[in-house]
Amino acid sequence: MTGFPRKAGFPPGVTVDVFAAAFEASPTPMVVTDPRRPDNPIIWSNAAFLTLTGYDRDELYGHNCRLLQGPLTDRATLDALRATTAQGGAFECELMNYRKDGTPFWNGMTISPVRDAAGEILYFFSAQADMTDKHRLEAALRDANGDLEREVGERTADLRAALAQKTALLHEVDHRVKNNLQVIASLMLLKARRTPVGEAREAVQAMADRIGALSTVHRMLYSAGDAAHFDLEAFTGELVADLTAGLAPDGPRVEIAAERLALPAAMAAPLALLLHELATNAVRHAFPGPEVRAGRVRVSARRCPEGMDLAVEDDGIGLAAAAACPDGFGRTLVAMVVRQLRGTLHWSDAGPGTRADIRIPLAGDRAP
Amino acid sequence: MSQVIAGTESGLRILVVEDEVMIALELECLLEDLGHVSIGVAGCSADAIALGRSTAPDVAFVDIHLTDGPTGIEVARALSADPRITVLFMTANAKRIPPDFAGALGVIDKPYSERTVANALDYVLRRRAGQAPQAESLDGLCLAPRVIG
Repeated sequence: MTGFPRKAGFPPGVTVDVFAAAFEASPTPMVVTDPRRPDNPIIWSNAAFLTLTGYDRDELYGHNCRLLQGPLTDRATLDALRATTAQGGAFECELMNYRKDGTPFWNGMTISPVRDAAGEILYFFSAQADMTDKHRLEAALRDANGDLEREVGERTADLRAALAQKTALLHEVDHRVKNNLQVIASLMLLKARRTPVGEAREAVQAMADRIGALSTVHRMLYSAGDAAHFDLEAFTGELVADLTAGLAPDGPRVEIAAERLALPAAMAAPLALLLHELATNAVRHAFPGPEVRAGRVRVSARRCPEGMDLAVEDDGIGLAAAAACPDGFGRTLVAMVVRQLRGTLHWSDAGPGTRADIRIPLAGDRAP
Repeated sequence: MSQVIAGTESGLRILVVEDEVMIALELECLLEDLGHVSIGVAGCSADAIALGRSTAPDVAFVDIHLTDGPTGIEVARALSADPRITVLFMTANAKRIPPDFAGALGVIDKPYSERTVANALDYVLRRRAGQAPQAESLDGLCLAPRVIG
């Protein structure tokens, strides 16, 4: 033996017995092996190591540490340990080891060579710690995480299924509403066709047209993908197109000046009825026959500070002349719908023609 | 079954596949008003396919929901296999139409207006005459993707 490195020398007054006593009393399990003897046997261990492993000193001394290994000890970690220590390196790992009574435990260890002054490896020193509780906690955490993920997955699947069911139900209801509107419109039109030309037939036809306006609202509300809003500009376009489709080419022209306004769906049906009534009234009654009269009807809709301004104006026969026409239902309907929308209605002479101004408040969440 | 109803000079011979009697009857009246000829109404898929094969109409209006279920798709596929028949879906359930439209030319959403039906048939007439109609004339008729592409 050539002696140990000088820097490891003891301070004055401290003897090797102090360290022997300190190591023996340490709660950290420790072991020393001698690689220069055959099979690198254990030559020393402290009391904590005996407690950890369950062996007595005489059962350990002279034996290789592999007596702690068992079926679940990781071979790859052992190979790495051997390779590193063979080259004189230090190694840290956690290995599954077995006590004398066969119970396994997770052994967290550091292994380091002890060299002499010349650098020759004389011993290997290893300190251990029982990591079983840590591994148990990790496993419990993994299980808990797994459970949580499974639970979240199940809940998400439940919610998806509920949403799919709700969507399917909405489609079904939407389909039924549209189909029923079509049946109602068809019924009215069939009756109109079988009614002799005259007042009764016109009344039934007018009802069919009103249902048509409501149908247009439904078609546009649910096909645009956004069932909560209603585009007044697009709706006015459709409505006027339907209205003018049946007119003589040299009859009144209908102009639209509607701003893009996304209105709440709840306002869609009353607004549709209102616009339909006003526009139809203008086209049908402002330019009475018998000969076809050219003319102009203008439908406008725009935002205003209070909400929305609607106006329907024609250059036809005017209020005074139209008042003689006893077709009161359209006007009554307009007044009722304006009241429902909490709006104001004002009829005026447009000189020539008639003008209806409607202001509808849009407050709070009803604002466009 | 093989009685052949001739179309008028400019009118189309049309098969109505629709399970709602009121809608079918009114649609037939409308078609006549527009100068076309209804060659019959079928309420279920079997009748629709049989009637289509025996009469080879110019146009078939096909609802998706029929008395035997959502079989309108199947009807469209069977009828459009005959190149003489132009199939148009007419439904409140357009979301059920497959991406290839089952061979149909397009779809008219219910509730439809008379104007939409008139425009759609105009479009079919002009297509048959070899004219390529303007996109803006397709008011209310939604074409199958392959027709646009």
